[in-house]
Amino acid sequence: MSGEPVRYSPRVRELFAALPRAGSLAAGAGTAVHGESAALDRGAWVRFEARIEGGRIADCAFRAWGCPHTLAAAAWLAGRMQSAPVTATKAAEVRELAHEIDAPAGKLGKLLAVVDAQEALLAAARAVQ
Amino acid sequence: MSGDGSVYLDWAATAPLDAGVAAAMCACLADLAAQANPSSGHAPGRAAAALVARARAEVGALIGAPAEAIVFTSGATESINLAILGAVRAAPRDRRHVVSSRVEHRAVVGACRMLEREGSGVSWLAPRPDGGIEPEAVAAALRPDTALVTLMQVNNETGALTDIAAVARLCRERGVLLHVDAAQSAGKVPIDVGADDGIALLSFCAHKLGGPKGVGALYVRREPRPLLSPLMSGGGHEAGLRPGTLATHQLVGFGAACAIVRGSLATAPARIRALRERLWRALQPAAPLWRNGAAEPAAPGILNVGFAGVEGESLLLALDGAVAAASGAACHSAVAEPSYVLRALGRSDLAIQASLRLSLGEGTTEQDVERAAAHIVAAVRRLRSALPPGALERIA
Repeated sequence: MSGEPVRYSPRVRELFAALPRAGSLAAGAGTAVHGESAALDRGAWVRFEARIEGGRIADCAFRAWGCPHTLAAAAWLAGRMQSAPVTATKAAEVRELAHEIDAPAGKLGKLLAVVDAQEALLAAARAVQ
Repeated sequence: MSGDGSVYLDWAATAPLDAGVAAAMCACLADLAAQANPSSGHAPGRAAAALVARARAEVGALIGAPAEAIVFTSGATESINLAILGAVRAAPRDRRHVVSSRVEHRAVVGACRMLEREGSGVSWLAPRPDGGIEPEAVAAALRPDTALVTLMQVNNETGALTDIAAVARLCRERGVLLHVDAAQSAGKVPIDVGADDGIALLSFCAHKLGGPKGVGALYVRREPRPLLSPLMSGGGHEAGLRPGTLATHQLVGFGAACAIVRGSLATAPARIRALRERLWRALQPAAPLWRNGAAEPAAPGILNVGFAGVEGESLLLALDGAVAAASGAACHSAVAEPSYVLRALGRSDLAIQASLRLSLGEGTTEQDVERAAAHIVAAVRRLRSALPPGALERIA
């Protein structure tokens, strides 16, 4: 309970405060898929859920347990995947994600869990194409 | 409430400076007659020395000690290091075994580790499930070559109380020095080193009592006086144990804080204990949750709570601006390191990450407790609403 506290970027604070796309998918047409990564040893558990319709991610939501950086990264990625074409969408790079939310290097392991969950989601989405 | 409008529940880390203490310190700083070196023999020096003497008496009175038994330091960490390193290094080379526990503050752990590197054996006692240490465990660990027992009276994370009077009796009977880390207990629970003469050394500081940061005290028993090897060399201040010109205004603040706390010691602990239990009840809507530690025997102001499915760093940020508290993990250097104290109590790393230390003090009100509980319950529910399926059951 001592030492230098973690500093959060304005982007992390903003995403963490709003947690856009957190929770369940809204009802709608299309096929529901999900991708998950539970890296409890790294302190992160992330699940993306999406509805696939017409080769696109018609809707995307996330659920997560982890630090503010983990939740912020998952929220940002869920937003970026919204309406994206399934075949052309690639999983994010961890460093790109860290740059986007201005996360410190010590958080890269947690962000890897976010990227792993996204990769799992995209694989599931391609499978129902 | 703290200055930014949030409810301050981190009194175990530091207490807000008492207004009376601040006034006493400002008066001291504004008085030119108090600016001289208290070690100087001229009139201004004697005036400063009189302020220091009064402060020393007030600090001693808080723990039932005569003024002459108080050595001023820069804080509890220095007092602890002087006590532990000083006592063991002054002991004969064939009698340097130390008894401590796995739930001590880092200052104690660090000093004992240093002694281990210097060749001392250290017995690390396992705690009770609440974080306290059983006197029987101390008795079983004592050896013919034991020089020192060093234990905290109140655990800084769970509030668990160790029966220091029983340990003191044991140490007196066995002729072993006892050092008590009283950083969390001085001014919170009764301490009388006059009655518990088995206590040879006792460390505490000002800033957890409503005094200023940067000043502490080490009680050194008068009879029989333990031998201590000083950590620093210099001008021979503080009976040769802690050289350096005394900071008069800091000591005046320390003394004032001790006097104020001593005046409320008969009533404040019961009031704070009742508030702590009220807080625990008010948090129940955030179930499933658990208590790290127990209601008794414990210091009045510390409540350590775990919330299933919650990550402590996120909970702290969710409470930012509403409640000031401490996480069960040290969230520094970007990596949350689970508390070794809670680990020693058998908690899993996930359960530790889900834990929050809430500590109350003199200034905490019923409204503070209700507001803090409402914020915490709301934050826990919000974070749980985003959990993956199964996480609530697994993270506990």
